[in-house]
Amino acid sequence: MGCSASLPDRSSGRLVGANSDNGGAPDAKNLRVKLVLLGDSGVGKSCIVLRFVRGQFDPTSKVTVGASFLSQTIALQDSTTVKFEIWDTAGQERYAALAPLYYRGAAVAVVVYDITSPDSFAKAQYWVKELQKHGSPDIIMALVGNKADLHEKREVPAQDGIEYAEKNEMFFIETSAKTADNINQLFEEIAKRLPRPTTS
Amino acid sequence: MEASSASTPSSSVIFYDFLDRMRNPASLDLVRSIKSFIVSFSFYASNPENDSKKVQEFLTTMENTIRDHPLWADATDEEVDSAMEGLEKYVMTKLFSRTFPSSPGDTKLDLEISEKVNLLQSFLKPEHLDIPLVLRNDASWLLAEKELQKINAFKAPREKLLCIMNCCKVISNSLLSAAVSEDHELAGADDFLPVLIYVTIKTNPPQLHSNLRFIQLYRRQAKLVSEAAFYFTNLVSAKTFIVELNAKSLSIDEIEFEESMQAARLTKESIPNESFSTQEVMSTSQGHTDPSTSARRREKQTDGGLNYPYMEAEAGELTVKDVESLLTLYKDVVTKYTTMCRIVRSSSKTESCAPHLEGTTDLLTQTESDTENTNHKGV
Repeated sequence: MGCSASLPDRSSGRLVGANSDNGGAPDAKNLRVKLVLLGDSGVGKSCIVLRFVRGQFDPTSKVTVGASFLSQTIALQDSTTVKFEIWDTAGQERYAALAPLYYRGAAVAVVVYDITSPDSFAKAQYWVKELQKHGSPDIIMALVGNKADLHEKREVPAQDGIEYAEKNEMFFIETSAKTADNINQLFEEIAKRLPRPTTS
Repeated sequence: MEASSASTPSSSVIFYDFLDRMRNPASLDLVRSIKSFIVSFSFYASNPENDSKKVQEFLTTMENTIRDHPLWADATDEEVDSAMEGLEKYVMTKLFSRTFPSSPGDTKLDLEISEKVNLLQSFLKPEHLDIPLVLRNDASWLLAEKELQKINAFKAPREKLLCIMNCCKVISNSLLSAAVSEDHELAGADDFLPVLIYVTIKTNPPQLHSNLRFIQLYRRQAKLVSEAAFYFTNLVSAKTFIVELNAKSLSIDEIEFEESMQAARLTKESIPNESFSTQEVMSTSQGHTDPSTSARRREKQTDGGLNYPYMEAEAGELTVKDVESLLTLYKDVVTKYTTMCRIVRSSSKTESCAPHLEGTTDLLTQTESDTENTNHKGV
């Protein structure tokens, strides 16, 4: 569903590419966050990330674009910067057992499903349970219903997503990687929920 | 790859710079602590976890020492880091024979993986991992294989890790360019991991498990993060997949899988250098065929398969030029078939077939090299 055709989107004024990448050493003002993406193959996990990374396009920001690893630094209003290191995982069933290798040590897990596919929603719930059992106990989880632009084909009501996320204390959002809807909001909300080191 | 060499000074430059500084009389205290650290290992039996902990702690301590050291006064973070890379390389080269492979158990696992991969190589095709046609890129994959194959050429954890990074970046770039040129929607890890698994199987990197464990234990912890950690994890993941692999892990019929594995076992047992000789025949026969058939043959060859390129050929496609290689292949097949019959006969005669097999294997190797010689003369 054409994420590759999308152009950089600069509509969000609140998030700007940060140039304060100091090569690692995280501190109270510069967080470095490992974020793992989980979800069935074909739900558009990588499209969401590409949208996010391209939308943040700024010549001064240090962006790593690989086929499956991306990093992007954003600046928040309180002058904190957050460097997201985004680990994509293979969604095919045959690789399901390998996921713990990837989400080990992750601060954030984004579980993605496709609103036109109930199967992918069931798979998302499987990932949530997995993370609750084996993930780090303070991992921040977001549930994302992607392909929200395809409303005429919707098979998973937004309400189902909202309820499931509430029950599992997750942040919920519906996105469209195609139209860039809610993509920035997703990462902005995650950044807000990150625990801040108390002193630097 | 440019990713590793262009932006950062090369490994040898870093290392010689480090050695130079160590020769400076001002660094005598550092040299002493490094030497006594290395010597201290000889007092203890090797134990991967303890050894790793000691090395990591030592490197952390040394980093602080170097930062405060007069020789590095006003040094930038990069310069200190560079010294640390040199130190890691120096220490781990000195301790290499003790720390690699970590344990006899690891060596056993290395062998098991390598034998399994050897069997898989003989029949595994990209479609068994559902790798889409648009992503198949023999040239890039070969380059990725070469990068990964280099892993045992280095002793320093950083350099071994770089081999993995380079392999992964070649794959990643080939996926990115497929997204642009073939208009294939970028599918991230859904595409990346299967290709990496396929490339790993084609490479059969030496001591895969031990190399991964060594990097995990001895690469400076502050450096096994971010992109490096991601690609490292992917190779660990590929290795795990291969170890657990059975018919259900692949898009292949269960019976076909078992039969292919069995056939591969028989071939490997009886003719150890089979793949070598047939590949030579292939490459020599490829010179004079029209592009369409040779392309198909090349695919067959890189698939490692049973290397019989005419299996899918139509009679109408063949030309007189093909006779030569057909004859060679025919002889190859007949030799293999007759020797296999001999093995089966001799092993069914007696309960203990092992000594017989051993004897026949030697003989077989000879027959095989004879056939090869004839091939060379013929082609």
